[in-house]
Amino acid sequence: MTTQTKPRVAFFDFACCEGCQLEVLSLEEQLLDMVELVDIVTWREAMSEKSDDYDIAFCEGSITREADIERIKHIRETADILVSLGACATIGCHNALKNQFSMDEVLYIVYGDRAEWFDTIPARPISAVVPVDYQVNGCPASLPEFLTVFKHILMGKEYKPPNQPVCVECKLKDNLCVYDKGLLCLGPVTRCGCDAICTSYGHTCFGCRGLVDEPNLNAAQDVLAKYGLSVEEIVGKFRVYNNWPELSLEESQSDG
Amino acid sequence: MSICVIEHDELCALVERLIRQWPVMGPRQRKQQPGFYYFDWLRSADELVWDYVTTTLPPKKAFFPPREPFLEFSRPDPAKVRPITDQGPFVLLGVHPCDLAAIEQLDIAYSDNAADGRYLANRARTTAIIGVDCWPDEYCFCTSVGTEQARGPADLFLTPIGRGYLVEVRTPRGQKLLGDTAQLLATDEDEADAAYFRSEKQRRITAQLETTVEQFADILAEGGLTEVWQKVADRCYSCGSCNLVCPTCFCFDINDDINLDLTTGTRIRTWDSCQLPDFALVAGGYNFRRERWERVRHRWHRKFLYLYTQYGQPFCTGCGRCSRACTADINLVEVSNDLIAYAQREKRNV
Ligand code: SF4
Ligand code: SF4
Ligand code: SF4
Ligand code: SF4
Ligand code: SF4
Repeated sequence: MTTQTKPRVAFFDFACCEGCQLEVLSLEEQLLDMVELVDIVTWREAMSEKSDDYDIAFCEGSITREADIERIKHIRETADILVSLGACATIGCHNALKNQFSMDEVLYIVYGDRAEWFDTIPARPISAVVPVDYQVNGCPASLPEFLTVFKHILMGKEYKPPNQPVCVECKLKDNLCVYDKGLLCLGPVTRCGCDAICTSYGHTCFGCRGLVDEPNLNAAQDVLAKYGLSVEEIVGKFRVYNNWPELSLEESQSDG
Repeated sequence: MSICVIEHDELCALVERLIRQWPVMGPRQRKQQPGFYYFDWLRSADELVWDYVTTTLPPKKAFFPPREPFLEFSRPDPAKVRPITDQGPFVLLGVHPCDLAAIEQLDIAYSDNAADGRYLANRARTTAIIGVDCWPDEYCFCTSVGTEQARGPADLFLTPIGRGYLVEVRTPRGQKLLGDTAQLLATDEDEADAAYFRSEKQRRITAQLETTVEQFADILAEGGLTEVWQKVADRCYSCGSCNLVCPTCFCFDINDDINLDLTTGTRIRTWDSCQLPDFALVAGGYNFRRERWERVRHRWHRKFLYLYTQYGQPFCTGCGRCSRACTADINLVEVSNDLIAYAQREKRNV
């Protein structure tokens, strides 16, 4: 591949902590292998050069202002391929916690009497505004999945995020289930792909990679209730990462 | 087959000798969580726990790893493949009767048409298997499926007795493994100790199927149990844990992991589970077990009907791992007994 024909890659960030970009930077040596295959032309966190001419855009963060909508639409128009990078961009993450309040209230809590200087809209993943071609889940974005997506893009292949819960990877690693230690884990309803990193180190899964396609939230509710959690506490546990679209746990509870 | 006795010190020395000679896998206690066990490669004899309760994953992981890279390839032309076969012989220690039965069942299934060469080659690397008798916990129900005395592929089988272990030497390989150790002849008292252990073990097993495996297969074949399946499915996450811990589950998926040069890569086989929604997804987006309850039913059918019909034994050894692993408390024995009771009620009503 000659230099001229290398795809041009850009990284962008919206509302987030920029931890996913940092995670990608931590690839270090593998970044050198990556730049054999692509030219990185814009990456504010990593370099000072920039360009508005790119083929592949990795976008981190949630959409949470009107101005974000315009900006992501421009990126969508410019790039052939748009990737949502990490939990904020893919499932809304903590940003979307604010969606349970009115936007006026949120503005007032954060900016007090300067609230009118700012605008805000309910936080949402990028796919809620423009079509997304690939997604990398996780908080921070899972590096093995980032590399898998990167390779799929260059090979022109579709990437389907794994539709299996974290329990699968957890079991394949022969971990002791944290339920056996009396801890609560969202692994049974959370999309895998992180190699069960949290439970492998004895923590619980918080659901940062989003829910599987058809989570059995009734089962989750029964199991968590067995541990003495109220519906609010159960919803609270899910809400740390999963707020978009609005969770329907409460309704299913009041129905039954 | 001959019978002899091995004392504790001698057994420890034997394990040390084996560890010097081969990679040895056996049950170990989890450091972070005493009272929970797992099979792993041993560095010294004192890591091994003979009197353990059932491990999380079964010992099949010694010769059928959860994730197994099995060939390297390069592409596109000329495409080259190189099988990965760099493991040598090993020894497997401390296998309970139910897990011995499971290894025998996997051997049967993987040797059948079309035989799995990779699996059989890995089994051929198994230099020796030493089994050991066990105490049940509340999940064990081997007596319901007839595996409580299984010896299967064990070369040596140990039963705890007062002065050590009664050793059943079952194969010439087992005899060779013992070498000079265990020259003690078994006395009547040793035999009585072992018989007592076996009967006490059986007495302590509380979980049981409320019908024979023959009748259970008939009940499943008869059908009409959708209501029960649906009730279980309401509580089931479809998380796959019950399959992934099962010693008789043999399904796997195959994926290619390509390197960053985009030309070389590795082909990997990974354990799979029929409870996962995409397990039966085929080209065109058609899924022949779309509904959760259909997948729940399949797990029971596979173990107690299809393979029972094919091989004359249920492909469930009563180890209880699936019930221990289920975070939703779906218990294989309880559900089976619900099915049996439901079928009997329906029968009375017609
Ligand atoms: S620790 Fe969590 S992810 Fe692992 S098996 Fe248990 S519930 Fe599933
Ligand atoms: S285990 Fe759960 S919280 Fe941890 S990285 Fe994986 S999905 Fe996220
Ligand atoms: S199921 Fe039976 S053979 Fe297996 S560990 Fe329990 S008691 Fe032992
Ligand atoms: S382990 Fe339990 S919840 Fe998970 S698939 Fe099996 S039965 Fe369902
Ligand atoms: S179905 Fe359950 S009890 Fe039966 S062999 Fe498998 S894990 Fe053990």
